[in-house]
Amino acid sequence: MSQLIHILKYKFIAFFKTSARFSLVSFLKELASLVVYGGFAVGAFYFSKSLIAYLLVTAKIGMFLLHEFIATGLFIFFLSINAGNIIVSFSTLYKSDEVYYLLTKPVNPAKIFLIKFLDNFFYSSSTMMMFLLALLAGYSVYFNISPYLILIIFLFDLIPFMVSAGSLGVIILLLLIKLASRIGVRPVFYILAGLYLSSIILFFNIISPAQLVADVMKYYPNVNQYFGDLVPGIIKYLPNHWLSESLYWISSGKIEDSILYIFYQIILSLFLFSLALFAGYKWYHKTWLLVLDLRNRKKKIMRFQKSNLNFSNGKYFKPAHDSIFKKDLFTFLREPAQVIHIAVLAFLIIVFVVSLKGIYLKGMYNSYIKTIIYLVIQLFNLLLITTLSLRFVFPLISLEGKSFWKIKSAPISNNNYMWIRLLPWIIIILFTAEILGILTVYKFSYELAVFSGVITFFISTAIIMMNFGMGALYANYKEKNPIRIASSQGASLTFLLCVLFMLFVVVVQLIPINQLFYMQYRNISQSNIQFYYMSFLIALVSVIISVLFFFIAKRSLNKDF
Amino acid sequence: MLELKNLTKKFGDFTAVNSINLNIGKGYLYGFLGPNGAGKTTTIKMIAGLYSLNGGSIKLNEIDVINDPLKAKMKIGYIPDNPFLYDKLTGREFLYFSGGLFNLPKSFLKNKIDELVELLKIKDWLDKRTEEYSQGMRQRITIASAFLHDPELIVIDEPMVGLDPQSAHIIKQVLKQKAEENRIVFMSTHSLNVVEEICNHVGIINNGNIIFNDSIAELEKLKSDKNHNLEQLFIELTNEEL
Repeated sequence: MSQLIHILKYKFIAFFKTSARFSLVSFLKELASLVVYGGFAVGAFYFSKSLIAYLLVTAKIGMFLLHEFIATGLFIFFLSINAGNIIVSFSTLYKSDEVYYLLTKPVNPAKIFLIKFLDNFFYSSSTMMMFLLALLAGYSVYFNISPYLILIIFLFDLIPFMVSAGSLGVIILLLLIKLASRIGVRPVFYILAGLYLSSIILFFNIISPAQLVADVMKYYPNVNQYFGDLVPGIIKYLPNHWLSESLYWISSGKIEDSILYIFYQIILSLFLFSLALFAGYKWYHKTWLLVLDLRNRKKKIMRFQKSNLNFSNGKYFKPAHDSIFKKDLFTFLREPAQVIHIAVLAFLIIVFVVSLKGIYLKGMYNSYIKTIIYLVIQLFNLLLITTLSLRFVFPLISLEGKSFWKIKSAPISNNNYMWIRLLPWIIIILFTAEILGILTVYKFSYELAVFSGVITFFISTAIIMMNFGMGALYANYKEKNPIRIASSQGASLTFLLCVLFMLFVVVVQLIPINQLFYMQYRNISQSNIQFYYMSFLIALVSVIISVLFFFIAKRSLNKDF
Repeated sequence: MLELKNLTKKFGDFTAVNSINLNIGKGYLYGFLGPNGAGKTTTIKMIAGLYSLNGGSIKLNEIDVINDPLKAKMKIGYIPDNPFLYDKLTGREFLYFSGGLFNLPKSFLKNKIDELVELLKIKDWLDKRTEEYSQGMRQRITIASAFLHDPELIVIDEPMVGLDPQSAHIIKQVLKQKAEENRIVFMSTHSLNVVEEICNHVGIINNGNIIFNDSIAELEKLKSDKNHNLEQLFIELTNEEL
């Protein structure tokens, strides 16, 4: 135990020493982070309060449906933390230099496992925790819940919920590595992707949100009563359901009815955490050696012998452009984490686009609900674009790593270099964004699809440039792992900036879009002038953001290397 | 001719290089000595364009390295102390990549790579990923990448660190050959015996200041005047205690 405390003590010292090193630039960076984090927390607080008010007062969906929507959101959130922990744990537990160092010392691997598990859990979940706390605060203020109860919900309901997700992630990771050593990495990846996909499909098939809404709405206007019988039995055993149920009873003033759900939550988290520690005690060192073995197996090299993609061929571009493009392509294709992630994201995008084909919108719903659906779809599109940019554009500069000396000492200008690095990603992401922007919206109206296509171009460019600029500003040449780079402090800050920008886009569109649907619903002809103003404003802000972050990137590249 | 004029570099309050002046001519194999933290790597990084300057200028054959960096870099071959490579690329791919950065045509590169592979004896490793390379192989590939464009100035930082005797021998021969071809070789090192063996000019930097700058013959003379070997002389000049 004393050894564990000793290691943790020095980890804290190292962390605070690094953070406490004073310089004007680092101070300004920290200040900017604080402003953005603070602004984001306040924004999330008001967003949650206003959304609840909108759903309960304007859209009149009732308390029960509201909490069922929360439960659905929490299910996705649980899977995100779970998957995030699998990915980040792999880096922290199996690829970290600190582990190599500690394993050469007389430290029990189980202790290393515990240290890295905590490190990883707080590292990958801290932004989420802050975000959830702000949402919870908005929820509590709306329902006038006392601050003590908020604290209890946070500590004994929400944190255990997240610990369960994280612990389950680590247990799955240990099992996957054992499995990968027998059947290979690729089949294991397919099994994992299949598991996640089927759990999402199964969940939505069982819960069937559209059916639930229709069933509850039969009782309109008495939609505030409890419709627990409408929820399928199996769903009641899931931790996301326990969390939303406890919130439902607390906000309804029946605190005693929430206690059982909080108790379930704590018991499950303790059980999964203990199980993770036991699995770590039993398997961590063995799996660490297995990973080492898997990494040392002979690697196949794709050569594209006769193709223009081979380094020795190619006549269409200038040699410098050709070199940097091919270097990027080859390093990308030879890094499994990159290929797997882009495949997963591409798959998710296809699933999303295909699933929206089933929505029938013309002439349905009131204009408020239609506005919400439109804006939620757009937000989801932008979130996908942000995820793509954060995962692949933000780490671009950092991934040059310590080998960047070769380019920095070569006769190539920063402008040229930046465009060569950016262009393939601009093309890929803009193409994806346009497909999403048009295909997910054309069911509302064709005019809206055209409008969406135009503003998507500007918004996505701004998001890409924001990620590139911030990636250069927060470049970490020591970190080789793209996943860790994409979940670093700078990346979290970038994500928050992107969310703020997305909220701006949504707020600017809210009134004109609602008016458009209202006019459509009433069959009133309308002028498009509001749309032109709105598009111009969004385009202008996007261009300003793009230019600003391009210059931030350029300035950052001028720093000493 | 490489001219460093009042070259200064500060990191906050700390002056790493303090207004140094050096003129290094064609055919020089210049050994740049100094204790740890004396300013050797900082000077080299300024020449290579990796660090900005806080004062002074660097000129290579009348080209201002700071004001006209792209033109200057076309004439410089830089070899760092820790040759990090893009580890997912093979050695051959890395060489094509490096040559491309200097806008060299593929046909020229193919011949040049063949020539350098022979010179540096790297054929057996050329098509393996650089992540599998030893320190010596990395160093040799890095040197090959720096020679692809036939630079007028070769800037090399600590070339002998972690090398086996075979690699060290090859690198010494190649550097000597480059100086004989009338190129400028600017080499920082801790290996005093290497300086004595291959360099024709020597500079010693200590606490950011140049404390010795002359030919190897003058250094030999100083050694015999003081009846010291090079190690003793170096320690005396840099005020280190024995």
